[in-house]
Amino acid sequence: MQTASIRLAIAALAVLVLGLVFGWPPLVALAIALAGAGYAAELAIDDAPLDRLAPVLAAAVIAAAELAYWSLEEREQVADDEGGRARHLAVVALLALGALLVGGVLLGLVDLVQTGSLATDVLGAAAAAAALLAIVAAGRRRA
Amino acid sequence: MTRTGSPRIAGYAFLAAVGLVGALALRRPELAVLAAPFAGVLALGLSLARDPRVDADLRLDAERTIEGHAVEATVSLRSPHSVDRLEILLDLPEEVEVEGGRSPRAVRLTGDEEHEVELVLRCSRWGVFDVGRLTVRARDPLRLAAWTASFPCGAVLKAYPSEIALRRIVAPVETQVHAGSEVARVRGDGIEYADIRDFVPGDRVRSINWRASARRQVLVVNERHPERNTDVVLFVDSFLDVKLGGRSVLEEAVRAAASLSTRYLERRDRVGLVGLGGVLRWVQPGMGVGQLYRLVETMLETGVEPTYTWGDVTRIPARILPPKALVLALTPLLDRRFVGALQDLRARRFDVAVVEIDPVPLVPAGPSELDRLAHRLWLLDREVQRSDLQRVGIAVASWRDGSLDGPLEEVRTFRRYARTAHV
Repeated sequence: MQTASIRLAIAALAVLVLGLVFGWPPLVALAIALAGAGYAAELAIDDAPLDRLAPVLAAAVIAAAELAYWSLEEREQVADDEGGRARHLAVVALLALGALLVGGVLLGLVDLVQTGSLATDVLGAAAAAAALLAIVAAGRRRA
Repeated sequence: MTRTGSPRIAGYAFLAAVGLVGALALRRPELAVLAAPFAGVLALGLSLARDPRVDADLRLDAERTIEGHAVEATVSLRSPHSVDRLEILLDLPEEVEVEGGRSPRAVRLTGDEEHEVELVLRCSRWGVFDVGRLTVRARDPLRLAAWTASFPCGAVLKAYPSEIALRRIVAPVETQVHAGSEVARVRGDGIEYADIRDFVPGDRVRSINWRASARRQVLVVNERHPERNTDVVLFVDSFLDVKLGGRSVLEEAVRAAASLSTRYLERRDRVGLVGLGGVLRWVQPGMGVGQLYRLVETMLETGVEPTYTWGDVTRIPARILPPKALVLALTPLLDRRFVGALQDLRARRFDVAVVEIDPVPLVPAGPSELDRLAHRLWLLDREVQRSDLQRVGIAVASWRDGSLDGPLEEVRTFRRYARTAHV
């Protein structure tokens, strides 16, 4: 792992802790951005091939951001109703899962585009057909 | 409802933008993968967010309570849409606290269904309190936006003073003409035996004391003391107040006045009230439960208002102080104007007694030698005031806390042995 990445990760952690301690929300976004910058530096310096773990990292980052903002909201000391926290925890878990899925799909598309095989053409045709079908279905419903 | 954005919106927009720009600049799709969830949450959350149009009101179980007792409050919430998280904040005065249930608290609302939240309020002191405003804040499931609305409750909670333990009260020297529970000094029709005397034409046969008549060989009749009521005027000093650690001499004076008025009214006495201070408050002497409510409601308005006028007894309407009434003063003896008013009343031949609400434990001496000297001088000055009052025949008893029986016994003892002086 590159020294620059480690430094950026440490800075991100420090900024996140500061943001949580002093209750300043912009520092949460800055901390996440710094963590992302460290990851970008790692990728750029190593000139690595497509990172398959990027969706996992995306899920972790959105979960971290959600939990950090939740922690700031808890400073208001509003008593939750029964199951309120569990519901929000489920929302955070769903967001992380969604990030994982969306990231996986995006990476798969990128991989397809980069390989440029017949599969890309098939996928494009399928997408166009699906779009047409969606328009037709919407038109029928209105009629 | 007023819509406000969560800090998440700015943060996620910043992260999505930085990630996408970074992905383009560095030609790394992984950064777009990192940025996509933030953009997705923004798009999804803002498209789902809508004004929940929450309606809320607050009902109190009772308009009147006693300080320290609980009152149930019900917050009713309605919304045409489901609200994942609705935060409720009841803006209460300092003296009213939420004992059962919590405020602020969050609930989940189902669309078109009324949701009720039970709270238990408790007043830490007596007074009239405006329960204030109910503020609600609704959040969308992804907590990107919040809608805030404030509802005036319009509920007024009256907390009556708590009762102080009191077994016996101070009886006035003279009674009035109406029937009551106090044995009068005069003789007439009654139950309490007074004396015997020779029969005179017009005496009722049933009052003849046959045993004494047989012994003396002349007709002798019994004389009795009638049971009469009395007039009592409670004189509350509201010129100054001393507070320390949740204790206030004015609050205790009002508690004592409320307890005394309850006990006197139970005996069918007529009770009036004079609050002498920055603002003069009075209630004409009267009897019954209605009078008790009038007295207590007037006491609830008692507070210290600044004044530079010399509050003497000439300000008090004459009908408030009936002849032969007992004037029972509750004062911390901090203001010379009140002491002067008491001496003035005594000079007008009113029967006056003082329960001193002792402020000395609430006024500790300062750290320096000069402060301690000043404190000692102040204590001496208080002694002089007490002595001045006692010299003109006014009983003074000091009360710190707990039962009022001790100070009232002191007053009774003083009045039993002291000579009545007219100055």
